[in-house]
Amino acid sequence: MAETTYAPPADIDALRSRALIAGAAGLVACGIGFIVDRDHFFRSWLIAYLLFLGIALGSMGLLMIQHLSGGAWGVFRRIFEASSRTLPLLAILFLPIVLGMGTLYSWTHPEHVQADEVLQHKAVYLNTGFFLLRAFIYFAGWILIAWTMTRWSRRQDEGDMSVNLRLQYLSGGGIVFYAFAATFAGIDWVMSINPHWFSTLFGFIFIGGHGLAALSFTIVISAFLVRRAPMEQILKPGHFHDLGKLSLAFVMLWAYFNFSQYMLVYAANLVEEVPYFVARISHGWQFLAIFLVLFQFAVPFLLLLSRDLKRMPHRLVWVSLALLLVRYIDLFMLVSPEFASTGANLHMLEGEHASGFFVHWLDLAAPLAVGGLWLWMFLTQLAQRPLVAFADPYLREALQSSGGH
Amino acid sequence: MAPSEHPHDQTTAAGERPWFRAAPPVLGPGHTFESVTEKISAIVMTRRTPVGWFLGFAIAFAFLMLLNVTIGHLLLTGIGIWGNNIPVGWAFDIINFVWWIGIGHAGTLISAILLLFRQQWRTSINRFAEAMTLFAVACAAMFPLLHTGRPWLAAYWLFPYPNTMNLWPQFRSPLIWDVFAVSTYFTVSLLFWYTGLVPDMATLRDRAKSRSAAVIFGVLSLGWRGSARHWQRYEMAYLLLAAISTPLVLSVHSVVSFDFAVSVLPGWHATIFPPYFVAGAIYSGFAMVMTLAVPLRKFYGLEDFITMRHIHNMTKVMLVTGMIVAYGYANEAFFAWYSANPYEQYMMANRMGGPYAVMYWSLIAINAVMIQLFWFRRVRDNVMLLFVLSLFVNVGMWLERFIIIVTSLHRDFLPSSWDMYAPTRWDFAMFTGTIGLFLSLFFLFIRFLPAIAMFEMRTLVEEETHELERPGMV
Repeated sequence: MAETTYAPPADIDALRSRALIAGAAGLVACGIGFIVDRDHFFRSWLIAYLLFLGIALGSMGLLMIQHLSGGAWGVFRRIFEASSRTLPLLAILFLPIVLGMGTLYSWTHPEHVQADEVLQHKAVYLNTGFFLLRAFIYFAGWILIAWTMTRWSRRQDEGDMSVNLRLQYLSGGGIVFYAFAATFAGIDWVMSINPHWFSTLFGFIFIGGHGLAALSFTIVISAFLVRRAPMEQILKPGHFHDLGKLSLAFVMLWAYFNFSQYMLVYAANLVEEVPYFVARISHGWQFLAIFLVLFQFAVPFLLLLSRDLKRMPHRLVWVSLALLLVRYIDLFMLVSPEFASTGANLHMLEGEHASGFFVHWLDLAAPLAVGGLWLWMFLTQLAQRPLVAFADPYLREALQSSGGH
Repeated sequence: MAPSEHPHDQTTAAGERPWFRAAPPVLGPGHTFESVTEKISAIVMTRRTPVGWFLGFAIAFAFLMLLNVTIGHLLLTGIGIWGNNIPVGWAFDIINFVWWIGIGHAGTLISAILLLFRQQWRTSINRFAEAMTLFAVACAAMFPLLHTGRPWLAAYWLFPYPNTMNLWPQFRSPLIWDVFAVSTYFTVSLLFWYTGLVPDMATLRDRAKSRSAAVIFGVLSLGWRGSARHWQRYEMAYLLLAAISTPLVLSVHSVVSFDFAVSVLPGWHATIFPPYFVAGAIYSGFAMVMTLAVPLRKFYGLEDFITMRHIHNMTKVMLVTGMIVAYGYANEAFFAWYSANPYEQYMMANRMGGPYAVMYWSLIAINAVMIQLFWFRRVRDNVMLLFVLSLFVNVGMWLERFIIIVTSLHRDFLPSSWDMYAPTRWDFAMFTGTIGLFLSLFFLFIRFLPAIAMFEMRTLVEEETHELERPGMV
């Protein structure tokens, strides 16, 4: 053990520079988009941003669960940690959303609030100052948790085992903070795009999406690492099996939450709630809805039932990559039908409007920009620490994991 | 039993893992195959039935008789003996139904999901938790059946069967989904429980001293010989049953929540209801397992089998699910305001400050505030305290259902229709009667069947022994 440093493989650097180039290219494209089509830029940026924020936050959530439960997936701790350390970058990448508040959120315009009784009622909560303060609190909390976890994890590596319990305590409180902050972030950043709509289940849907994105991303990175030293010695089919099973659980959870929400809103048919779904099952969006049912539930569900698939990283990785793509499309579905194909927020237009299905070229550029930069940051962080949390108290159990029955 | 007797802690003493606060073992030290079997089967086969058992059974049986009297009176008189009346057309019958069904969920979670997650600590509590599930579902099913007033016609009202009048139940009503959800739940739980019992029945057959016991257990064990082929098929069947049961943990209480959420009543129509009900169900179910496990391990000296590990883990499950429930309360309150809907806002104001506010704040005090104690290891170590807290959780979850159901109904949309609800003595007689039924069945179960899975405990002996010899990996 003493000779092994668990240093990351050398070709991680090549990947890093490629990510940075992709990010820079995407950023240039987004810059052009910002100039020529500002409305679409903000919408696309928000969607892409939510995907990578979800990976980072979901990873932090899984990390905290791992500290609390001592799960046998401690071998993935460094990936979770590196992912959660991208949060400072994500705080910076949030700035375009702040800049675009006027485009994204109709409640930022006093004249809309004046004309709308519901918005007047909500103005105590939905106003620019409080929105920014809340965003600051979410990020401050999340970054503080990620930073403290990293600091204590480093001390654990140096042999200071007194941090083990403190990591558990922090995770306990951290998970409660994360759940509440993520719920309200979901309300602020996504739900309030349609300021009349509300669904009490939305927080769970938002958090469940984080979990699925984080697991899929972890599988993708692990499938890359398992073909290289040092992780080829460490990661066993059983570990992928565990992640695969968790992915399956989150796929089912996604279907369960979304079915519950859809069925209850559809059946009740209330004027405050149902327009949200009416917009998503008409004007071309219904095909995307069916696509999501098939590819965020039916197909991955059937595939992930296979034991062999879950144990073979080179195959599982394709399912996970597809799931990441579908996560992006799901977030697109969450946001885009609230906008006209011109990019304008429907809730700011005069009179009744419906959105027809559209995709904009910025919907490809924005994930390239955010994703490239984010991946670069992630890989930079991953390269900084040994790939195995060798001082983890549960590592012995984790390494012995021979996988399910 | 001091935790330091565990192999993990021995390495602690040697200084190898000084920072590792080891979990207590799942099986007390020093057990062999023989001692495990002997200790568990003795309760059924050889030990004298303790006086306490007779005393407890007598009390439970008295309440069971009260249930019989209540049902008799109900059938002769009609459901007018209950306190529900318009606008509260649904009260104790549905409150207790949801409460009992919820309690059953811990059994399914323990037997199915924890098995799939390879959580060994499930082993000693799964058998009686599954029994608890069956008895709880039986108690639950009584309420809607008796609420029909004429349960002998219930099949005609509840089940879709082809009849000459061409009358069908309303398939779009969640009540009919409930019929399917609950009957599936009962069937699968029964199969699971019985399948798990088969090898142990054979053990009891082989150890039986009297001819009659040998015959009874012989029949019940379905010709089990314990051959390798038997075991191989058995393991496969058990795993498949676990996989089938897993969706039931979510689906049953989700469907129960649909009973409310599909309606358009403020306080009922909330999309969060399915997961929030499921979490509440598991929370209350684990509280009931705790309520049953603490006296069981004490009176039968089973501390080696139901160890502090089980107590800790059950408390942690209660903490997690209780926190989800608390999240649900906060969520409901926030969205009542955020909805900008005056009816939603009134519903919440009425819960917090209306005539039933004491019950609302009691449930908050229990389910959101008191459970924070479970964060502390000193609380998790204190078995007696946990027993008391688990009783509180049972009460808190009952109050939650009362508040959800009664406060939304008694303030109808039109103030002229407002009314108060108060249960009658027959409501209480029926409720305590089902508790009597539940406990009577449970007393009979621990006396006549092995309350802990012997064959599964024997696999733990093997693993505990191997753990001692296992070389360090890191």
